[in-house]
Amino acid sequence: MSEEQDPEALVSLLGREQAPLLARRFYGEGTPSPITASLAQVPELLEVALPFVGAALGPAGLDERTKEIAILRTSALLECRYCVQTHTAVALDVGLSTGEVRALRGEGDLDEAFSDARERVMIAWIDAVALGRGPVAPELATRASEALEEHELVELTLAVSATLMLNRYCTALDLPTGADTLARLAAGGFA
Amino acid sequence: MTALAEAIAAEKIGGRVWFYSNYHCNLQCSYCLTESAPLVKRRELGREAILERAREASALGFTGYGVTGGEPFILDYMPDLVAELGRELPTIVLSNATLFNERRLREIEPLADLPVHIQISLDHPDPVENDEMRGPENFRKVVEAIPKLVERGIGVRIATTLDDPDAADPEEQERLCELHRSMGIPDEDHVVRPVINRGRAVSNEMGVLAGFEQLEPELTLTADGAFYSPFAPTVRGGRLDTDLLVSRTTSPLSAAAGSLVRIADDLPAGHDASIGIR
Ligand code: SF4
Repeated sequence: MSEEQDPEALVSLLGREQAPLLARRFYGEGTPSPITASLAQVPELLEVALPFVGAALGPAGLDERTKEIAILRTSALLECRYCVQTHTAVALDVGLSTGEVRALRGEGDLDEAFSDARERVMIAWIDAVALGRGPVAPELATRASEALEEHELVELTLAVSATLMLNRYCTALDLPTGADTLARLAAGGFA
Repeated sequence: MTALAEAIAAEKIGGRVWFYSNYHCNLQCSYCLTESAPLVKRRELGREAILERAREASALGFTGYGVTGGEPFILDYMPDLVAELGRELPTIVLSNATLFNERRLREIEPLADLPVHIQISLDHPDPVENDEMRGPENFRKVVEAIPKLVERGIGVRIATTLDDPDAADPEEQERLCELHRSMGIPDEDHVVRPVINRGRAVSNEMGVLAGFEQLEPELTLTADGAFYSPFAPTVRGGRLDTDLLVSRTTSPLSAAAGSLVRIADDLPAGHDASIGIR
């Protein structure tokens, strides 16, 4: 993120020089993410939202691979350009194959890309939580509770829910994808 | 004693809570921190909001109020509001003193019986030099207003803002002090402080750089949130600076005050909070 502000931007991304006092510790050494730099406008929200998002989307009982499947799939279903682009790069970093990433993005066949039965149930669960209205179908709920421990189901569902929140946030505010990420995606043949 | 009162007693944070009543002003000084002028965005905090926060501040253990802007007395309700504040805690109002016509003077007469001071800017003993930074006729209006306030028994302080106080001509400073003494303002009610390199002073390449390490932590409330110091909620190129923003939350005041204490707790040992607004 550049210190120069885009005059067309809906909200300013606060560069390091304008970062409020309580936001500074979230800026780290490098360039702050647009999520950090926009949330910094309300430092008291940044202070709770970033640790929450970090915990909800980072590995805990579920590993990074599973979390990235949840984030990328949800973001693709919600058509969040920022999250799809950013988490395409992260998913590749944590070891998902190009075929798996394309399938999660809706650009390839899921059944072909994911042969593991447990992961297929998880993806069905992610789709139902991300796109559904009302309760999840009982048949899918049964399959999910057979494939996953209760705490895993909780963690997966929260990962999808937190991603939904971010998807709407990033899309509504039209947050720009980092130049580094765009370059990496272009090099890997992704849009 | 509340935790906040303890932090104030330990001088971790200042005892005065500041209110930015508004950002507009009848003047347009070259070093103005807030880029104030007649037609800028007003960012008015509002009479009721100020009174509510003031009551909370008093209950939390703050020991004084400050009102600044923009020019506070551009607002019709300011004389009444300052009187209400002064009935609760000692209050200081920063003013350019150019709006004290007969009607305004009558309205502020009740302040004479209260622990209220009006801090008035006067930068130079000569009209031409003074008005260079503050605009035409400023000197005349100020030296006419001060005796009228003093006559009415209203507490007055003088604030002199200099681009570089260390380089100030001692003879000029002495003439300025003779002037304020001649108007009934003793030396202890005269402060000299540097231009801070924020707001319009940045565009005009004036003043000293002041990071939060040099500023006293004093809770400062504006229409945009709570800030670290009355020198913090500055405006540059029409945009509000957020580097010294504490929180957008100003109510309950305890939340904003608690955040300020947390920031003050993290200040490096031996920091030199040498710059105060009064
Ligand atoms: S310095 Fe004070 S008097 Fe001058 S323009 Fe700014 S608010 Fe008005």
